[in-house]
Order: sequence, then C-alpha cells, then structure tokens
Amino acid sequence: MNNNETGARILVVDDEPQIRKLLKVSLQAHQFAVHEASTGLEGVQQASLVRPDLIVLDLGLPDMTGMEVLARIREWSEAPIVVLTAKDGEDDKITALEGGADDYVTKPFGMRELVARIRVALRHAAKSANEPVLRIGELTLDLARRIVELRGERVKLTPTEYDLLKILASNAGKVVTQRQLLQQVWGGHHNESDSHYLRIYIGHLRKKLEEDTTQPKFIVTEPGIGYRLLAAEPEE
Amino acid sequence: MRGILAGWPVWTSYVVITLLVALLTALLHPFGLAFDLVNIALIYLFPVLLSAVYWGLRPAFYAAVLGVLAFDFFFVPPVVSFTISDLRYLVSFGVYLSVAALTASLAARLKRQLLLSRQREAHTAALYELSRQMSAISDVKTLLDNVAKHISRIVGAEAAFFLPDERGVLAFAHASPASGSSAAADWGRGDAERVIAKRVYENGEPAGIGTAVLGESQGYYMPLRSEDRAFGVMALRLGERRSAIPAEQLRLIEALRDLTAGALARVKLAEEAKIAQLSAESEKLRTAILDSVSHELRTPLAAMIGSATSLIEGDRLFSSEDRMELLATIRDGALRMNRLADNLLSMARLESGMLKLRKDWCDAEDLIGVALAQVQDFRQQRTIRVHVPEDVPMVLGDEVLLEQMLVNVLSNAIKYSPDRSEIVLTVRAEEDAVSLSVADRGSGLPEQEYARIFDKFYRAESSGQATGTGLGLAICKGIAELHGGTISAKPNVPHGTVVTVVLPLDRRNEPVPIPSGKGTNEHEQQ
Repeated sequence: MNNNETGARILVVDDEPQIRKLLKVSLQAHQFAVHEASTGLEGVQQASLVRPDLIVLDLGLPDMTGMEVLARIREWSEAPIVVLTAKDGEDDKITALEGGADDYVTKPFGMRELVARIRVALRHAAKSANEPVLRIGELTLDLARRIVELRGERVKLTPTEYDLLKILASNAGKVVTQRQLLQQVWGGHHNESDSHYLRIYIGHLRKKLEEDTTQPKFIVTEPGIGYRLLAAEPEE
Repeated sequence: MRGILAGWPVWTSYVVITLLVALLTALLHPFGLAFDLVNIALIYLFPVLLSAVYWGLRPAFYAAVLGVLAFDFFFVPPVVSFTISDLRYLVSFGVYLSVAALTASLAARLKRQLLLSRQREAHTAALYELSRQMSAISDVKTLLDNVAKHISRIVGAEAAFFLPDERGVLAFAHASPASGSSAAADWGRGDAERVIAKRVYENGEPAGIGTAVLGESQGYYMPLRSEDRAFGVMALRLGERRSAIPAEQLRLIEALRDLTAGALARVKLAEEAKIAQLSAESEKLRTAILDSVSHELRTPLAAMIGSATSLIEGDRLFSSEDRMELLATIRDGALRMNRLADNLLSMARLESGMLKLRKDWCDAEDLIGVALAQVQDFRQQRTIRVHVPEDVPMVLGDEVLLEQMLVNVLSNAIKYSPDRSEIVLTVRAEEDAVSLSVADRGSGLPEQEYARIFDKFYRAESSGQATGTGLGLAICKGIAELHGGTISAKPNVPHGTVVTVVLPLDRRNEPVPIPSGKGTNEHEQQ
C-alpha cells in the first residue's frame, strides 16, 4: 500500500521560508518529492505546472486568502489538499474543509501528525470508490449487505447509525465536518439544534463500538469541527 | 378630638362657636335669672377658652364678643334687649372682654409654641432619619434620590442636584422624580438653571429667591460644601413663591444641605480610596505579569538555545543518546512556550470581550474524551477515573472553549498531585445545570487560598517547583462565566483539591429528541 505513496509529488504553499524548509527536509526524508511556492499565485501556477499528487496549503498567505487559492485549484484539480491553520481558526478550518480541502493540521504541528494526514489523503485519492467491503482496523463494513462487524462479531446498528458509520468509514482517517455528516445522513438544510441529534447518534455508535466511551478508539471528536474515524496507523 | 377639630377649615370654627354660644344661651336661659349674673358671665368664658386652645386668637375674640352680646341680650336687664339699665354692667363687660382677650392670647400663644416645637421635632426626626439612611448609601445616585424625596416631603419643594462630571464641569445630576406638571419635571435640566448652579458652585454663595443674587429666578441654589471642598450644587424649585424663605424653613433646608454635602464627601472619599487601591493592585498585577511571563518565556528559551547551540557546535562530542536528549529538551521547551502563548492569547481574547461563542450542543462524554486524549502524555502514571451517569443532558456552549477549560482543570490536577495517584472526574446532571468536578489527591491548599486560585497570575505559595503562569484557572473561570456558569474549588477529603464547574442547562431550547433518519423507523437491523 505504501508503494503508491512513495515518491508522491507534494506541493508546499507557504510564505514562511522556515516552514517551507522544515517541510521540505522532513517530507523528503519520508520519500516524497517536494515542490515549493511562497505565494498564493505561485501556488496556483505551480499546481498546474507540477501536477502534484497532494498540496499542503497554508491558509495565511500574504497575497490572496488560502480560501481563494483553494477555490482556484479546485476549479480543475482533484489533488488532495491538506491545509495548515492557526490554533483558533475553527471557522477557517470548516470553511476550508467544506470548500474542498481534504484535511487540516493545526500549527504548531508535529511531523508525525502531518505525515499521517498526508498518507491518509493520498490513500483516499488512490482508492477506487466501489469497494464493497471497508476494513478499518478491527472494524469491517460490508456495504453490499449493510453488515458491520467488530473483531469478527456482528454489531447491530439502526439505519441512521449505519449511515453515519458508513460515511465516517468511507472517509476513514479524514475529518468529516458536522454539516457534511448531517447533509449526507439526513439530507437537506440544517440548523444548530440538529447537531444535537448528530451527537446523540455518535453517542449511540460509540456505546456499540467503543470499550470506553470516554476514551474512544474509533470515533474521535475534533472539537468545533466534526468527527474522524481513526484509521489504523499504517506500518512504516 | 383635637385632631378632628384642628383638621376643620377655619370658617367651621366660627360656626361651631356660634352654635356653642347659642346652645349655652338656650341651656342657661330657663334658670338664667335664678343664677347670679356674674356666674353666667363666667360660664360664657368657656367657649372663649375652648376657641383659643383649638383655633387660635381670632376665633377666641369672636367667641368673646358673641358671648358678651348673648349675655347682654338674654340676661342683663332689661332682658331681650341690648339696652343696659344699670351702667355698672359696662364695667362687667369690660372686665369680661379683657379676661377673655388675655386668656385667649395666652392659650393661642401656647398653642403656637406647641405647634412649632412639634414641627421642630418632626424636622429633627426627619433629618435624623435621612442621616441614618445616608450613612448606609454608597452610591451617589441613590443618595441624591433619597435626599430629593426627603426634601419634597419635608419642605414641599422639588430638588435638583448639579455635580461636576469627569472633566470637572458642573452638570445636571439628579432631580426629584417628576410629579405634577411637566414644567416641574423639566426643571433643573435647562441651561438657565445650569448657569446659575455653575455660578453658585464657583462663588460658593447661595443664589435665587430671597438672596441678593438672581432673586427673580424660580429656585433657591445652595453650594454643597464640606470643609473646604465644593461637591456640587443643590437647587430647590419653590415655584411661584416670590418672597424670601421663612427662617424656620431655611434652617431646615440648610441642615439638609449640610447633610447632603457630608454624605457626598463621604461617598467621594470612598470612591477615591477605592481607585487608589485599584491602581495599587493593578500595579502589583503588572509586576506579577512581567515576572511570571519573563520567567516562563526565558526558562524554555534558555534550554532551547543552549541545546541547539550545543548540537550545532559540538556535533561530534555527543552520543546518539545525548543528542536525542538535547532534541527532546528543545521540543519540550518549545511546547512549553507554545502553551504559554496559547494561554496568554486566550486570556487576552477573554479579557477583550470580543470573544464570540460558537455555541453548539456539547456532550459531556465527548468533551471528556477529547480532554483525556489531550492530557494522555502529560498524566504519566496517574489514573484518571471517569464517572458519567447515563443520559446527561447536552450543554449549549462553545465546544473548543469548554474542552480547553476541562484540559486546564485536568492539567492542574495532574500538575499538583503525585505520580501514580488517582484523579476522579465526576459528571452530575442536576435540575437546571450540569456539573463537572475534578478531584485530585495532591497536597491541596489552605482553605483561604481556594478563593484566589482563579485570579489571574495567582500562584499558590506551595506551588514550589511546578512551572506555570497562573493563567490556566483564570482562563477556566473566564470560560465558565462566558457560558453563564461558575467554577469553584474546595479541599478534597482526606487531602487534595476538588475543582467543580457548573454549566447551566437551557431546557427550554433543548430540541425534541430523535428525529427519524430518512423517514424510516429506528430499530436495530437484523
């Protein structure tokens, strides 16, 4: 599985030379080919020249907003984009995620975290959409038969719980925003109080899947953003 | 009896006197001629005395004259005629009238003195009551309101007050509550009144009705002075009255003025003392901030710079283990600075009042899960036990901030308790609140320190080696209060600390539970 990730071209768009240097050295050490851009405009140009397999985009750029760069690239490219954001930028994160970014990493970040996000995003991009069975660690989802198994044991879920888990599982390792979950499970428009239901169902799912619901191993909360179904750590 | 009689209009007294004399005459007449005439004349003195006591001088004279006429007409021969056969009776009349006049004037004077002393007593009581109330009042508005009410009750005039504002310019400050005409309600707010008040404030002399200055204006203006400081101006609206204020009333008004000035002085001095104390405290706080921040910034920086330069300059000298250790030092120092930056920024955001809550439904279990994951590496060998009852209602709040609060409280418990000890996190659902408490088995604090640990930059005396800025719990307090909740701490039994956060529930806006997903009935799939 790691084979198609090795040597992947990654475009880093960040105005800080020190961060670019850090990313270049570290990502190259992880066998990625790194290209750099220091402004939004350069980032958009490089994206069409280099045709990267993945883009790491800093949302705080001097010439144009990260959101604009995101939109310009998404006009024609489906390359996964991981955005780098400030600590308290929950609204930015949500806007970016719903505007086509695949995941986010909050600055300051550890390299291990960033590389894990990059791997998950690359894997998702490479995966065909029509896999009938999803395997996430000890969890198995048979999409054709709507059957969920945990460590080989059948888990009984209500239709809503199953839909919720399916969306999280098909995005395994990636964050899914509350609104994305609400739209895909319940459809239509949603307001504040709907997140109440979402949390109730997540609670139900956790009760059925987790050993300790206060220390979830599968469905983790990204405060203020949404949820993430943890993918098993890929072996290095 | 006295009250009733005194309450009557003046003319009724004359009617009563007339009736009384008529009744007396009717009663005496049948035996009249059997009596000695002198006795009858004496009996006619009764209405005179009565009138003097109850109604004053004039009614008494009226009673005397009426009495003489009745006596003359009905009893002095020739009866039923005003003519007098014996001229000696004229002397009797003269004596009667002078006795009547004398007693009447004495009685009337007595009555007036009684009235005056009663009035004085009432004024003294009123002044006493006012001064007693004033000593309990600590803000200017309530004080002036109180004085204005008393003035309108005792003096029967509306009062307005002018006090210097922050720039020292005299401005309208307060007036009696609007009663009666709109002219009375607006009085004091106009430019004319302010100009007069300003003049009085500057000169320190009263002006208005009855004084040499601006005697034609509608009010009486007095400076409010205590010792050598002027605190403002008190003005009374005396309406259409054009004459000087009677001395008795003036004395009362002056007493009220002095009371008000004294109370104002007291309030002002208290305010000044408070400001002085606050600025001393903020000075102390500033020093504490500088000490704490510079220490917290410099220590990790020193470690990081030292480690990094060692690595660069003496690369060959170190074994790979040493190198890892130096690198870990750099990472830990940076993480510590990152925490400090986070805390300072959070505090600044909370204090700026610009923080907008991103309110969302938050599940206690969810919050705890995230917070526990955050402190996972930090807790070392301490066990964290969690008690969450089934069906804790959700709290409407900012998930990120609430999680930060919980992380801070947990970190604090970890920091001040020994390794391998137990920390217990308990959630309780109450009628209209959810409480989260974190109990550690550390050494705890003396009782009196618990009230202060949520103060900014406060660090317990016993915190010793533990690093920190004293911001963590202050941030928790800010977050709890933003959510309309509270945070408190108390000793744990037998030792340690319990920090409890109480977050209010909004039961009214809680959504109705469980909509069905995509229209299907929810039951577990087979």
